Amino acid sequence: MKSLNGAKIRGMILRYFLLALGTVIFTLPMIYMISTSLRPNGALYEYPPRFFPKWEALTLENYSYILNQSKFYVNFLNSAFVSLSTITLAAAVSSAMAFVLGKFKLKVNKLIFGFIILTMIIPGTTMIVPQFELATKLNLVNQLWGLIPFYVAWVIPFSTFMIKGFMENIPGEIMEASWIDGASVWTVYTRIALPLASPAIASVSIFNFLTAWEEYPWANTVINDTSKRTLPIAIAGFFGQHQFTQWGYVFAMSVLTLIPVVLIFILCQKFFVQGLTAGSVKG
Amino acid sequence: MITKSRLNRTQLIALLLPGLLLFAAFTVYPIIRLFWMSLCDMSFSSMLTQPFNGIENYKEVFQDPTFWTVFVNSIVYTLITVPGQMAIGLFTAILLNGIKRFSVTFRVINYLPVVTSWVIASLVFRYIFNTEGLLNYFLWKIAGVTSSNIRWLDTRWGGISVAMILGIWKGIGWNMVIFLAALQQVPQDLYEASAIDGCGAWGKFVHVTLPGIQGTILFALIELTIGGFNVFTSIKMITGGKPAHLTDTLLTWMYYKAFSTGKFGYAAALSFVMALSLGLLAIVQFRMMRNRDN
Repeated sequence: MKSLNGAKIRGMILRYFLLALGTVIFTLPMIYMISTSLRPNGALYEYPPRFFPKWEALTLENYSYILNQSKFYVNFLNSAFVSLSTITLAAAVSSAMAFVLGKFKLKVNKLIFGFIILTMIIPGTTMIVPQFELATKLNLVNQLWGLIPFYVAWVIPFSTFMIKGFMENIPGEIMEASWIDGASVWTVYTRIALPLASPAIASVSIFNFLTAWEEYPWANTVINDTSKRTLPIAIAGFFGQHQFTQWGYVFAMSVLTLIPVVLIFILCQKFFVQGLTAGSVKG
Repeated sequence: MITKSRLNRTQLIALLLPGLLLFAAFTVYPIIRLFWMSLCDMSFSSMLTQPFNGIENYKEVFQDPTFWTVFVNSIVYTLITVPGQMAIGLFTAILLNGIKRFSVTFRVINYLPVVTSWVIASLVFRYIFNTEGLLNYFLWKIAGVTSSNIRWLDTRWGGISVAMILGIWKGIGWNMVIFLAALQQVPQDLYEASAIDGCGAWGKFVHVTLPGIQGTILFALIELTIGGFNVFTSIKMITGGKPAHLTDTLLTWMYYKAFSTGKFGYAAALSFVMALSLGLLAIVQFRMMRNRDN
């Protein structure tokens, strides 16, 4: 009996050791990014490279440079505007679609759902050429708000799919009672379905926020004006602007861009895990 | 039923339409248009007329040696990053499943790379893998495993390796979370039964864990295969396809052809082949999933 306990304890120690080791290796790139953002730009090409800056060389000059530029605030607000509009619109239209697809047996349901699944299995970037042509025709090129309909359309399949699964699990009796009371479709949607599905909508919205906040290929293709850039294109533009990349600026801006994302992630951790696992375990 | 009333019918349609219209206009239409573009001459000189030219674009794609280079790159990228991140993610999940304290802390930290944007993560990796950068210094001067600086960023497999390491690093957290959820669904008594049958840790893993999480493995396989072929930003930021398109993948090459050389027909044909083959592959994988369920 004693030896068994010993083996168990040894197993536990091994688990914690491996997890801790893995986590340290895993976080090195992020720590290096932060440490690079905290040293003077000139020191970035020093050889040998240092993982941690010299204590006396620590500086916030990269951050003050970025934060003293009005450009950064413009980029930040652009990203916030596009991301927040995307998640609001996507939540509205996807939850409505999910409600109809999940709770009513219409003839078109199968067809619509088929298209939703179909678009989920095609890599999004393969459509960039016809989408660019479409954006040109609709005069959406180089328009900040022009990003929104594309982003919303991209996240509709995933959002509808997830919210639909949740709506299907709402017990039929709850709605049955309202039909008997003579409630309309709209009333049932807004008074019953929406409040009950709000956890699913919240979790989907977090994912949608990340998608829009970090989207690069499309925004980089259609946005030209510096004043209309979102954060990812602004960061990418910073890099490679000069012959020698000013890594201190690049990483200071990166850290500032990551702060809202990490905050949202840590605060909404529960919704995150729910959203991620909803589709996978059943499958 | 309820859908018989006219008011309710109108309301149902009103709820469906906004999403449906957006989805149809910005996602479904481009897929159809993509197919049509792939059959037309779409270069700058013929932009106004866009004459139909059958399978010429497809011929051009398949006869282009660069296409085969980038095709191999995408295949290698997917074949290595997909099993790589699944294996490490599953291993981490198994470790996490056996501990009580700090489980959430480990999970949160290991998930952070997933929420880090591709642009930022790519730039960090580019900086680390610089020829005079931190990693080479560590490998050569501290660990002593190399005898010179490896030129990660300007050789074909060096550049692809950096992108693959980034891809695995960024994907582990997602795999960890979905596998952890799957592991928690495996009935505990199966483990106890296998222990009575004399199964060791490896035996339990092969006979209980793996069959128990089959569905999740297939799900991850489908999602990650699509993601693997969708690799774009990391390649663009880390190597930019250099040297001489040797490190391009299908999508970065397609993008270059379209937006730098104006060969929209070529790009459309390449995209359509990709969309079609991945769609078919996903359908096969879905079928496998359904067969397992029945």
